[in-house]
Amino acid sequence: MRKILYIAMPVLFLAACTKDISRFNKETKKPSAVPGAALFSNALKGLSDGLANASVNVNVFRFTVKHWAMAVYQDEAQYDFNTRGIPQAWWTRMYRDVLNDLKESARVISNDANLDAAVKQNQLAIIDIMQVYTFNILVNTFGNVPYKEALDPNNLFPVYDDAKTIYTDLLKRLAEDIGKLNTASASFAASEDVLYAGNVAQWIRFASYLQMKMGMMMADVDNAVAKAAVEAADAKAISAASQNALFKYLPTSPNTNPLYTDIVIGGRADYVAAEDLMNPLINLNDPRKSLYFGTNNAGNYAGGVVGRVNTYSDFSKPSAKISEPNAALVLGDYAETEFLRAEAKERGYTVAGTAEEHYNNAIKASILYWGGTEAEANAYLAQPAVAYATAAGGWKQKIGFQKWIALYNRPFDGWTELRRLDYPQLTPAVNAKSGFPNRFPYPGNEQQLNGTNYTAAAAIMGSDKVEFKLFWDKY
Amino acid sequence: MSEVVVTALGIKRAKNTLPYAAQTVQGEDVSRLRSGNAFSALSGKVSGLQINQGNGLGGSTNIVIRGMKSITGNNQALFVVDGVPVDNSINNRTNQQTGRGGYDYGNAAADINPDDIENINVLKGAAATALYGSRAANGVIMITTKKAKKGLGIVVNSGLTINSIDKKTFPEYQKEYGAGYSDPYHVDGFYSYDVDGDGVKDLVVPTSQDASYGAKFNPNLMVYHWDAFDPASPYYKKPKPWVAAANDPSTFYITSLSNNQNVLFDGATDKGTYKLGYTRNEDRGVLPNSRLIKNMINFGATYNITSRLTASASVNYSHIDGRGRYGTGYSGRNVNQNFRQWYQTNVDIKEQKDAYFRNYKNVTWNWSDPSKPSGLVPIYTDNYYWTVYENYQNDNRSRVFGYASLDFKATDWLSFLGRISIDNYTELQEERVAVGSQGAASYTRFDRTFTEKNYDLMANIDKDLTKDLNFKGLLGINLRRTTERSSLATTSGGLVVPGLYSISNSKGTIPAPIETNQPIAVDGYFGGITLSYQDYLSLDATFRRDRSSTLPVSENAYNYYAISGSWLFSHHLPTVPWLSSGKIRLNYATVGNSAPWGSIYDVYDKPDPFGSSILFSLPDRKNNSELRPEETKSREIGLEMAFLKNRLGFDVTYYVTNTIDQIIPVSVSAATGYTAKWVNAGDVQNKGIELSVYATPVRTPNFSWTVNVNWTRNRNKVLKLYNDSRNLPLGAFQSGVSINATLGQPYGTIQGRTFVMKDGQRVVDTTGYYMVTSTTTNVIGNINPDWIGGVYNTFRYKNLSLGFLVDVRKGGNVWSLDQFYAQGTGLYKESAGLNDLGNPVRNSLQDGGGVIFEGVTEDGKPNTKRVVVDANSTQLPQAAYSYDASFVKLREANITYSLPATIFSKIKAIKGIDVSVFGRNLWIIHKNLPYSDPEENLSAGNMPQGMQSGAYPTTRSIGMNLRLKF
Repeated sequence: MRKILYIAMPVLFLAACTKDISRFNKETKKPSAVPGAALFSNALKGLSDGLANASVNVNVFRFTVKHWAMAVYQDEAQYDFNTRGIPQAWWTRMYRDVLNDLKESARVISNDANLDAAVKQNQLAIIDIMQVYTFNILVNTFGNVPYKEALDPNNLFPVYDDAKTIYTDLLKRLAEDIGKLNTASASFAASEDVLYAGNVAQWIRFASYLQMKMGMMMADVDNAVAKAAVEAADAKAISAASQNALFKYLPTSPNTNPLYTDIVIGGRADYVAAEDLMNPLINLNDPRKSLYFGTNNAGNYAGGVVGRVNTYSDFSKPSAKISEPNAALVLGDYAETEFLRAEAKERGYTVAGTAEEHYNNAIKASILYWGGTEAEANAYLAQPAVAYATAAGGWKQKIGFQKWIALYNRPFDGWTELRRLDYPQLTPAVNAKSGFPNRFPYPGNEQQLNGTNYTAAAAIMGSDKVEFKLFWDKY
Repeated sequence: MSEVVVTALGIKRAKNTLPYAAQTVQGEDVSRLRSGNAFSALSGKVSGLQINQGNGLGGSTNIVIRGMKSITGNNQALFVVDGVPVDNSINNRTNQQTGRGGYDYGNAAADINPDDIENINVLKGAAATALYGSRAANGVIMITTKKAKKGLGIVVNSGLTINSIDKKTFPEYQKEYGAGYSDPYHVDGFYSYDVDGDGVKDLVVPTSQDASYGAKFNPNLMVYHWDAFDPASPYYKKPKPWVAAANDPSTFYITSLSNNQNVLFDGATDKGTYKLGYTRNEDRGVLPNSRLIKNMINFGATYNITSRLTASASVNYSHIDGRGRYGTGYSGRNVNQNFRQWYQTNVDIKEQKDAYFRNYKNVTWNWSDPSKPSGLVPIYTDNYYWTVYENYQNDNRSRVFGYASLDFKATDWLSFLGRISIDNYTELQEERVAVGSQGAASYTRFDRTFTEKNYDLMANIDKDLTKDLNFKGLLGINLRRTTERSSLATTSGGLVVPGLYSISNSKGTIPAPIETNQPIAVDGYFGGITLSYQDYLSLDATFRRDRSSTLPVSENAYNYYAISGSWLFSHHLPTVPWLSSGKIRLNYATVGNSAPWGSIYDVYDKPDPFGSSILFSLPDRKNNSELRPEETKSREIGLEMAFLKNRLGFDVTYYVTNTIDQIIPVSVSAATGYTAKWVNAGDVQNKGIELSVYATPVRTPNFSWTVNVNWTRNRNKVLKLYNDSRNLPLGAFQSGVSINATLGQPYGTIQGRTFVMKDGQRVVDTTGYYMVTSTTTNVIGNINPDWIGGVYNTFRYKNLSLGFLVDVRKGGNVWSLDQFYAQGTGLYKESAGLNDLGNPVRNSLQDGGGVIFEGVTEDGKPNTKRVVVDANSTQLPQAAYSYDASFVKLREANITYSLPATIFSKIKAIKGIDVSVFGRNLWIIHKNLPYSDPEENLSAGNMPQGMQSGAYPTTRSIGMNLRLKF
């Protein structure tokens, strides 16, 4: 029997050693606590990557606004969003990759006992501004979305909230955030804040721009709210190109602009200029023509037809400028703010200046941003078809048309303004699978994962169709 | 009557008193085909066992016993070799498994040497396997290796196999129209440039258009093809007739030669036994530049230290060296993505081959823009020879598994066993994309080490309590430690030096490698008793309690119980002459299971820094610190009968298993901030009937005929999911199709868009095309067969034997992305030809072309609207591409001739010479999936079953083998 004991001993010894076996389950390659600012930085990058992207799996709005056409594969250009699950990718990016990290960032920073209270207040306000920015995208993409019950892993079936109610709350949050921002204190470090390097004054400019933009969204449905928000924002909103919110990509992989990754590194030859944008660029001698696009093989500028096969060699390609590795993504800029001010004047809101001044500033800012000169901008504006006084149509048409051109490479905002201002009036894509999309359908897997709430949200619209107009889209 | 089988933990039992289902296959039956993988050869040979083997070289084998039980966890059977669990991980990445490219690296059980297998015993139910712990809930494939016999024995095998594709599983192309997407381009469907420099514009094939809805072929029309832009081509700047290619993509597949050599020595004396085996298996694939070489050495010995104490040890070493495994799924590395989905029927594969081999450059037919030098790069597709010779992968895996044990017989009724076993392997997978390929050049390496150690101590009692009552007892402990470490490193932004595949050759900033370190500890103790009365009644009870490190401390222990009984009722009927034996079995068992590693504590991900900005992120999946063990409950009843002196017999089993409280990472709405969360949820039920019948219709001294039939019918149902969820997506595939666990449905529904129906008819809208639902959640198929079966016939005449296996699968569905895309690209035969009016279907409507879809208009009237057939036609819904996955296959056949002893009697050393000819996948007798093999899949595992994307054709193998016994 002694021998048995000899055999048994090492085993019993092992058993004794491992009383607490839960230690085996500890993650040794990933952290369980991280700095809150790094979560904020990551959310900014996730947001920018989505807005900058042109992959047909991520961001297809360039075709929707008819700035670009596809060479061969037409599904997305023809409003087929489901085959590649684009609504799902967009929704997931905004909620999971952006908002959840922002929320966590705020949680970690709030709990940081060592952080100066004033700095903390600035940081939390900035994080909240970016949350508002992101929810604004979600609402303007889908309509009613989970908001109050969102971002809670203990509630796996969040209710969809009414879009207008969300919007009202977002505007309220934004006003509070602006109030909390204090230029006397620091906020994030330069490396943590890729947009403004922690400059609080710049964040006030950006937040006020956002307030003006979101306020204006309400103009057709709740003019009083719109007026109040726009007027409150006017003085503090972006008023120079140096205040633009730019996510500056880096020259080397993997932190290059997604367009560079897709077009240059990926070597795909999918995207060509759309005639809808190219023709006015040509006809109005727009200095941005050669900044937005290159030429076709014959050395000419030519745009293709959205929704139809376009022989790649025959049409203009996106310019080298927009697919530079370190091309910046614009999250908000002077040109857009000036268009908003012009519109505010036309709507009778009390803001400084005249509609024409702001219209001219906006166009000039756009041309200068893209690398045109002051002289080119003046020459462009001097044309009767461009000049505010003589350009065709009412203010909605004048502003809508020029804003659509200026929002090149900001296709999500382009799509939103197209829907809101209803100008320019674009024809639907060739072989369109539906009417013009006024919203995205909800992600396919919401039907499965949050079915009851999905069904309720879809029922409000009759069905989950893309032609349904969002609450601010009165006309 | 006294047949002995080995059951859980190596306990030997008389088959007559076994109270649960177990079916044995002899080693000979799985090594005969010299394929190097014993387990794909089990298909059709065991009831209750479903084997699914894709067509890739060395691809993974899906081995499931009694249906899929776990919603997202492992459903593969546990492999045990001589009592030692052997890891059978399938480590294919999620993207690979959902058809987004990558390689199938096979599963680790392929490292078991088929030539060392004495027999395989399949323990099907939980009652049989509960002693092995949680991993055995999916059943156990128990392998007993060969045991040495007295004296010196030597067996040598040498075999050669020829492999080629079964063309019935590859597309047939239309030969009437060439490149294009139903667009006129510049002139009549061609580009128009001056190619030869004579100042006149020439017709150029639209090389960038990867479809065949283009200009009608016309042998009198001279046009400039892709090779007119290849300076090395004899057709440089020269036109060729506009005709269909003489060599279609099936030309790309080669006939390959595999070989297999094996030698096994064994011997035994009074003091002990030994055996030493070596096998070399060189498998060459049907794609150029693909091969898999396996070297396996196994050594085992026992030594009787005293008459009571025996020491044993076994060491198995294997080395697998792969190169050019087939690219899978929707990826440029998979040539079938093009061959089946995006192709020009005017492209001649042989000309592509010549173009590559002239100067080893990426001369593609798919020029981005042939009108300018900078456009002479592939827009979507590389030259396929470039793909397999430049963008190939390679991998290797070195593995050692074995054990050392001491067996001590304390008394004639009490013995002890102490054993330490180790399974350890290291693998390296390298993938490359060469500079000059479509897309960014890259290099990826994946390093992984797996170790499992088991420490076992057992006491066995075997005592006759009375003359009629025997008691067997078992008491033991088992400590299991596994560790898995891996590192995945990749370059970014391209490669600096062409042809150099190292991480440091990255053009962009090198991303941090993804490291994992996942140790798991499970401590268990167990006991069991068996009471047998007079060899006709037996009662078993077993108990095991495990404690697992992967569960929260408060919930980390769980129990297993099993109780089984059998009654050999024929004992009471000795006077019934035709009844040889009859037995009833009944059992019930519960098996616990723990969580996967790392599902409790929350941690952060660290994306690569953005310049000087450090980034952290919450992961996509929310962990859960309140997980509980999951449980499988299993009930089984069986009847075994044999008649006419055992010339006819059957074994039938009915079982029900429920796997409840499953630990699953449920997919959740991303609005929660996560896309998955670990929870306890769900109940999946499997009910089924297994039937094995054997018969020997003829038995004379010179001739015999035996038949073995195995039949399995498993009914699977998802009874409960998380909370009110009605559906849990398992895998999302391209084109909006998904595989799901759906409440009230069999596990593995295929969902997507379907036809709008009215009174059982498809509704056609005003444009003349079918109306399609907007919802993507319609069930359009399910992956489970209605039943599977196999019939194995053996004929023996003197020294000659002939055996063949017919393998059948009835029902279930497979969804084909290949067919889905091919409709839009006009590759296949049925996209051309004549319509109901006798006109070419692709003609314009004015010219009598087009089709009328069968269906009704929204007001219920028959559809009469004729529509064009071209690349812009409205796509049919996904439901149109869900096919019946049934098949009847002549899976294997073999003829063996044992040379009469008189021939070699002069050479004393030789004891036997066998010559055999064999074949595998010889003939698909019946199938309903056009142009493909319904069995083909992306990988083993839960998600990829029932999905085809860039499917490989069936490989048909015919070989011969020479076996010498000394």
